[in-house]
Amino acid sequence: MANRPQIRTAASALIAMIADEYASSVSRTMQQPYMFDHLLMQVHCWDTVVGFLLAGVGNVDLRRKTNYLIVDSKTTIKQIEDAFKEFTSREDIAIVLISQYVANRIRFLVDSHNKPIPAILEIPSKDHPYDPAQDSVLSRVKNLVSVESVASDRR
Amino acid sequence: MMEDQEEKGNAENGIGRQKQVKDEYLLQFLDSLDGYLTLLDSLSSTLSQGWLELASARHAMGASRINGALLDLKVHAAATSLKVSEQDVDSMESQPCFTLCKWASSDNGERSSGEEKSLSPQLRHRNNSQLSGIISSPVSFSHFFNFFLSCEEEKVSTRTGTPLILVDQQQRQKSLSVFGVLVSPKLRSAQLSFERALETLVEIANLHTTMLSMFEQVHKELENTNG
Repeated sequence: MANRPQIRTAASALIAMIADEYASSVSRTMQQPYMFDHLLMQVHCWDTVVGFLLAGVGNVDLRRKTNYLIVDSKTTIKQIEDAFKEFTSREDIAIVLISQYVANRIRFLVDSHNKPIPAILEIPSKDHPYDPAQDSVLSRVKNLVSVESVASDRR
Repeated sequence: MMEDQEEKGNAENGIGRQKQVKDEYLLQFLDSLDGYLTLLDSLSSTLSQGWLELASARHAMGASRINGALLDLKVHAAATSLKVSEQDVDSMESQPCFTLCKWASSDNGERSSGEEKSLSPQLRHRNNSQLSGIISSPVSFSHFFNFFLSCEEEKVSTRTGTPLILVDQQQRQKSLSVFGVLVSPKLRSAQLSFERALETLVEIANLHTTMLSMFEQVHKELENTNG
């Protein structure tokens, strides 16, 4: 019992989001470019971000830091990585939602996250449906199964 | 002679129990994996519905009324948050459990916990109701406060006497008010769809942690077997 890993419990934790901008002609006409420069959001499309904000998950702290990031064409890999690292190191975030398309851009970072909290969930976006083969956890399982089958064949 | 037979019997029983434990871990892992994929599929459908409703609302209200410029960047706390508690898997391991707290307002003070569902690591059973029997919210612990589950049938009044159903509606309206006073019914529907998506995501998160935990157990057992 003394060596059990400690789970960080919380009475009230946040959901963070990193999303990719929905690249459509409709979106481009209605959106202003400046607003995406400082919006950090889930990893989903803009509509997904708005949807979850409607559901009440948006949080802006005293330093005007949000719990979300919208990734657009101008967002660099470094910015996405920095946002991911920030969300995964914050004590008040329990789940990070990231669209699979953006997760693929920082796949190494996502796969190297092995803490139970925050939980990293890859979800679909409008343009990019969910692909189980690319999911971080499922690909680990697949690797394990393939390694075991090779090992048993050798035996 | 008798002692030898007894020892042999005990050894066989031990091996049998070990095999049983391994099978149990494997079954729980496969069960959680199946649940994970099923819920992700359900999430995709719910999100698609939400996107469609949001697009309909944008069509009805106009693109200028539903765009990112209206996102609230004033300092505010999330109305919907999570409670993280610890669940004992066995004597040597524990895993986090997530519970969604929808529309928790700071004005409400303490509330009853409403419906609490116990969590036990049991296999799912497929039936017509796809999600029934799936591992549900965990047993809460005493170290939390200002928390309630969003269960419409279990509401009690707040200290001010306002029914919680009304408080939920007030919080929802506050969230919608970013897009104006009069909003399209489609926007309200989109809000409900994304709320459902959130509930599904919390279930996915719980299954995700269970799956990872069982995966580690199975991996450990396989290494022991090979070693």
